[in-house]
Amino acid sequence: MLDMALTTFRIFLLLTSFPETSKHVTRFVKGAVEWWSGKKIAVIGPTASGKDSFLARLQNREIPRVHSNSAMGEKVKSFPVKMALSDRRAIDITCKGVVNIGGETDYRDDPSGWLSVCQDADVVFYMMTVSDLSRKRFLKGRRIRQDLDWLLTAMPHLKEGALVHVLINKIDQKIESHTDYRPLAEELAKERSALDKTVKSVLHPYEARYTGATLISMKNKQIYTRGINIAFRAVYSAFHGTAPRKKAR
Amino acid sequence: MIATRAYWILPNRGQKDDILASDGKTTLPLRRILDPKLRPEGFSHGVPAELLEKCGPKDAGEILFAQKFPDWDGGKQLFSVSTTAGLDASGRVVHLGLLFLLEPNERPRFELPYAGLSEEDRSFASALIRRMASPGPGDSWVQSVRDLVELPPSRGPATNVELRRSTVPFYSLYALGPAGLVSKASSRSKSRVSALILLLFVASLSVWAFMRACERPSRPAVQTGVVICHLN
Repeated sequence: MLDMALTTFRIFLLLTSFPETSKHVTRFVKGAVEWWSGKKIAVIGPTASGKDSFLARLQNREIPRVHSNSAMGEKVKSFPVKMALSDRRAIDITCKGVVNIGGETDYRDDPSGWLSVCQDADVVFYMMTVSDLSRKRFLKGRRIRQDLDWLLTAMPHLKEGALVHVLINKIDQKIESHTDYRPLAEELAKERSALDKTVKSVLHPYEARYTGATLISMKNKQIYTRGINIAFRAVYSAFHGTAPRKKAR
Repeated sequence: MIATRAYWILPNRGQKDDILASDGKTTLPLRRILDPKLRPEGFSHGVPAELLEKCGPKDAGEILFAQKFPDWDGGKQLFSVSTTAGLDASGRVVHLGLLFLLEPNERPRFELPYAGLSEEDRSFASALIRRMASPGPGDSWVQSVRDLVELPPSRGPATNVELRRSTVPFYSLYALGPAGLVSKASSRSKSRVSALILLLFVASLSVWAFMRACERPSRPAVQTGVVICHLN
């Protein structure tokens, strides 16, 4: 019990140690619930970055026992999503027209692949992992950077005003391998700031559509709940221009 | 005219960014054989999750999933058959496939070499080749793949087994139910027989009801007679 409490505290310490995170928490606007209702989201990202697990979490179920490297685009039955954004207000939406698709570059470059999934979305969640962040896979020529380049070419084909948010998954693995969390938080903040800079420069002139990056864990329910709350609030805050942003062309 | 080309679609055990393929000797990215822009819509590089979920982990290794795209890239044919091939680094099911780029009306030949594959992939590849060449008695999965090979191209894009979650419609020959793989033709004829029995039953019931109804007018007459008698 004590261990669990301590872990929760450490996770809390880690997630709230980023200045932007606490800023988003205080900038929470009551209208977020109404804004999110009826929104379409797309989730893309490299293979094994956690897209299937994110889907399972949204469906409020555990990560499936029979889990597979997605072989083709498959429809997912509509499902309700309930998510508390504060003590009294909760997002209560239905996810419809969900299609689950693979993360290999073959799917990204297939016209009936990522683009068809993102086309009608109001918010595109790009999923990567914390090891992609530390291995700097967002630098030129590497996978994350290639995906960002693809996103730039896709932007004119997306819904007008569609927003992009990055989810950095598997933070639980970093936490487990560290005993001293303060240096880890500082290191992650530094790496995330480098990622932010890259995303903004690659997505130019659409950089205002980028709503930030959130550390998350699909495996750990506590971190997931907190992370997804931060992400949903960040997207809403960015939409309402409470976060500093320029007008996209 | 193109020469028949056959390739292994290799399992992505290392969670690589590209799907890899092999002609049995050399490994190369699948995109160099099958340009993502030319991939037919609904093409699968492995066994769909829908079938894995239906079969469960115990029988997942038995599944053979095949697809046929008869009018692909200017009249050529694309045929593939996939099976599960163990797990990747995160414990996810990975797939091994055979991909054939064929001339129109040409049939795939399941005899691709696999000596150049990794040791782990080799065991799954040899099992797949062996299974396709000499299936065990009652291997309905192999039969379903063979039936798909023989399917006339006029049917359009087709799969050996019905998919309910595919984003594009496919003609299919078999359906996966609780009792395993069932030919849709036999289940259609079974349902026709059931419908006929039901129809006969309803018809006999109607005849019986009609005859009973015909008998009824005599009763009110008797009753009337009773009333008449009573009045008298």
